[in-house]
Amino acid sequence: MARRYDSRTTIFSPEGRLFQVEYAMEAISHAGTVLAVLSKEGIAMAAEKKVTGKLLDLSLAPGGEKMGGEGTEAWMGGGGEKIFLLNNNILAGLAGITSDANSLVNFARNSAQRHLFTYDEDIPVEMLVQRLCDMKQGYTQFGGLRPFGVALLYMGWDPIYGFQLYQSDPSGNYSGWKATCIGSNHSSATSLLKQDYKEDLTLEDAKALCLKVMSKTMDSTKLSSEKLEFATMTLHPTSKQPLSKIYRPSELDGLLRDLELGGTAEDSVGAMEGTGGGGGGNVAIST
Amino acid sequence: MECAFGITGKDYVLLCSDMAAGRSIIRMKSDENKIKALGPHLAMAYGGEPGDTNNFAEYVERNMRLYHIRNHYPLLPASASAWIRRTLAESIRSRNPYAVNLLLAGYDTTTSKPHLYWIDYLGTKAVVPYAAHGMGVYVSLSTMDKWWFNDMNKREGVEVLKKCIDEVQKRITVHFNFNCILIDKDGIHNINIDSQDPLAELESESKAASGDIVVDAPNSPLDVGVTA
Amino acid sequence: MENNGGSVVAMIGKDCVAIASDLRLGNQAVGIASNFDKVFPVNDKLYYGLPGLATDVYTLKEHLRFRVNMYRMKEEREITPKTFTHLVSSTLYEKRFGPFFIEPVVAGLPTPTELDPHPKPFISTMDTIGCVTTPKDFAVAGTAADKLYGVAEGLWEPDLEPEDLFETVSQTLLNAVDRDALSGWGAVVHIITHDKVITRTLRARMD
Repeated sequence: MARRYDSRTTIFSPEGRLFQVEYAMEAISHAGTVLAVLSKEGIAMAAEKKVTGKLLDLSLAPGGEKMGGEGTEAWMGGGGEKIFLLNNNILAGLAGITSDANSLVNFARNSAQRHLFTYDEDIPVEMLVQRLCDMKQGYTQFGGLRPFGVALLYMGWDPIYGFQLYQSDPSGNYSGWKATCIGSNHSSATSLLKQDYKEDLTLEDAKALCLKVMSKTMDSTKLSSEKLEFATMTLHPTSKQPLSKIYRPSELDGLLRDLELGGTAEDSVGAMEGTGGGGGGNVAIST
Repeated sequence: MECAFGITGKDYVLLCSDMAAGRSIIRMKSDENKIKALGPHLAMAYGGEPGDTNNFAEYVERNMRLYHIRNHYPLLPASASAWIRRTLAESIRSRNPYAVNLLLAGYDTTTSKPHLYWIDYLGTKAVVPYAAHGMGVYVSLSTMDKWWFNDMNKREGVEVLKKCIDEVQKRITVHFNFNCILIDKDGIHNINIDSQDPLAELESESKAASGDIVVDAPNSPLDVGVTA
Repeated sequence: MENNGGSVVAMIGKDCVAIASDLRLGNQAVGIASNFDKVFPVNDKLYYGLPGLATDVYTLKEHLRFRVNMYRMKEEREITPKTFTHLVSSTLYEKRFGPFFIEPVVAGLPTPTELDPHPKPFISTMDTIGCVTTPKDFAVAGTAADKLYGVAEGLWEPDLEPEDLFETVSQTLLNAVDRDALSGWGAVVHIITHDKVITRTLRARMD
């Protein structure tokens, strides 16, 4: 009888719950952690990579050697696994089923380009979040399809509200944050962020806080670019236009060394030996 | 048989349109308002094929309002100009195109800069410091070429506008009444261009406002400036 | 074409290309704006110019921006001048029976690859429905195209260095445009080299 209200996404259980949506959220809490911190000068985001391993051929993948870059380079050398550029002014970190995430990223990029096409301006951050959430919500109501097993953190800038950080989940809910976290260990990470967040953070503080909390939640002794993606959203010093930066592995290792959080490669990290709370299960399909 | 001007200054933009309505050589109305407020800091002066003008202006007005209601902030002038231009560009290749020319004036509250766009029925857009549409172009553009300069204050802007209107009254056989607005950081203001000192009323208004602040109407996000 | 006026010229140099346009936007004989740039960047190695009906200049520019951005994000690399030319061409041909009134000019430096370590500078031009020509010397389009042909034919020579190419393309454009009532009112020139793009705005006769 347990399956009675499970099989359809669009049917409430007698207790008024949508099980499939809750299961989707459960799937996300096994995924690699993504956390971001907002400051007046910009936003920093760190994400835990789960699909690692010596034999994995990343030379042609976006997450390979050429990963990362600043401005238009970030368009091309996307983070690869966890952090994507959705538009000039918006970066997103994803946690959940990889294939679902890819499809959402594509939808988001299309929406952003459509807005650029009709209004000749970068899409305002909240509007893009709404576009995605409208679609996510649709799958909790119509058609007997499965909801997207993806949660996102969006960091962006627009001329109306400046720097913004949003989070959205499979139900289509979204909310704005000063610092937040999705994926495995998100509750403990959130409480760490709550302890250490201060209103007048600089961008450097935000970056440090991001990585410090990450190092605690990932429960591995040393962080390195092998298991981490990192990005910032700032304003270009002269043009005052949004500038997204996805860190190159070498840049990230440098930053980690400066913060004394690691930055040196570990000898052996195999697929499925990934760190983080998720542990078991098929990590290859979930990021 | 119509004419409209727009002039930008340091921190404001002026928009002015004639008020004639009629067919061919017959004037049926001389107090028709052909300037429409599209948002708290955005307005357009429009002209062209009589039926199309009002229909198109209202279509734009409603869409700007819808955007404002949905997003709780109005479209910025640059984006509004892109949307309007696209609408006309798509219309021109449709089965029944709108024949509407317009001047779009706005004040960008995020950068504190005035904007003026010259847009025609084809969807041609020009970003300009001063512009004119209709019969007035032949006499007023040269007037503005001569007298306009960068960063004019409000009084200087109104002076140039008056010179344009004088030129139209002098050189164009048809007589026009003119309707004029000014958009600055405080929103859209009506200006009586025929009065001795068109800015006197505006200045006394802002003095009053700087004193005791009158309580804003509730639900102010829906309050979209003066309606035309 | 004759509604708004405007002209574009592109030239090949030695490891560099130049593309330039006038700045006039007119409404028949009346000049409306002297800041209407018809040359747009795709990236710092590739520019294109769109002389013709001004409404289509905007529409086509926005169409191409959409497509190039999607290309960049999906392919995760910059588009090459040759691919971009074909993108423009097919975008134009999509409107075969109700064309954009535009004659695009593309100018770019292809990035060296393993297969082609020393690529040649690239220019191309199209008619309104996307029929491509890829000249080895220069490409002209717009209301002053016929005059541009004449001047360019006389001034252009092979293997010009960036600064010489700048002089050649500027003189070509300014002198051709002075004989055209619908083009002029200032000009902008871009010289694309491997390490930088030089952009200069030129003063011209303002009548």
